[in-house]
Amino acid sequence: MAAANIVRSAFNGLLRKSTSYRIPVVCRLSTVATVQKFYAVKAIAKLSYQVQNGVYAQSTRQYSSGAQSKPSPQQIEERVMKVCRTYDKLSGTKLSVDSHFMNDLGLDSLDHVEVIMAMEDEFGFEIPDSDAERLVRPKDIIQYVADKEDIYE
Amino acid sequence: MANIPIGVPTHIQKICSLYKRTLRNLESYYDRRHVYRYHAVLLREKFDKIVNEKDMRKAAEMVKQGEEELFLQQHPIPKKFPKSPGGVAYERVVTPPDWVLDYWHPLEKAQYPEYFKKREQRKKEFIAMWEKEFGKPDPKDTHH
Repeated sequence: MAAANIVRSAFNGLLRKSTSYRIPVVCRLSTVATVQKFYAVKAIAKLSYQVQNGVYAQSTRQYSSGAQSKPSPQQIEERVMKVCRTYDKLSGTKLSVDSHFMNDLGLDSLDHVEVIMAMEDEFGFEIPDSDAERLVRPKDIIQYVADKEDIYE
Repeated sequence: MANIPIGVPTHIQKICSLYKRTLRNLESYYDRRHVYRYHAVLLREKFDKIVNEKDMRKAAEMVKQGEEELFLQQHPIPKKFPKSPGGVAYERVVTPPDWVLDYWHPLEKAQYPEYFKKREQRKKEFIAMWEKEFGKPDPKDTHH
């Protein structure tokens, strides 16, 4: 009888112990999971800072708008030139604000459509075809975007 | 205003417009960027063929065919920019036209005396500029 009691109490103790031991194990697993998540997020964050076509590409998204968040003319110029440089047919050319897409840089009209579409994606508004035809220099695009967003020096 | 068609579009304008719309259509179908790029490159090859077609009759036929294809394959819920027609924020913020300021009550106008003084001055300058460019309005000409 005593032996049976000892066995039972030992069994109970084992059970209790195992339950009490399970918690730290779970905790450790969850910390491992969070650490893994942290590294995964870090890796994703690193991916978004990749260099594309030799240009340091960083996605900037602004969820609020107002007087403070409007880009300055210099920022618009930077972004327009960045988009031009990331276009694969312009990556090797000598690009400046005044260079003509067709005459100086040798793009055809379909390439020009692609460049304008990239600008639309960058600035988040549509550029109608009739306006797009006249935007043949990066300078024109900068002026157009500044007019659209009501930005002046 | 910019979307109103003025005049007959040239052949190359038609091709460019079709190319842009077809690319946007592809973009709404394929949300993975590399998949979209693959299809975009294939489309580019097709359009290069249309551009390089010397026979105008054939080229026009190809553009027509492209339009037909785009119509048949158009996306049911195409992606739109927020502020362009059909977008989520289209006409969300209404900017009142400039002439509304002229119909303010004089008491309201009196709260911004400097601005309205300048505004009257600007109106006079604009009328002077108009008359310099187009001449004085004919008093007998009452109809447009």
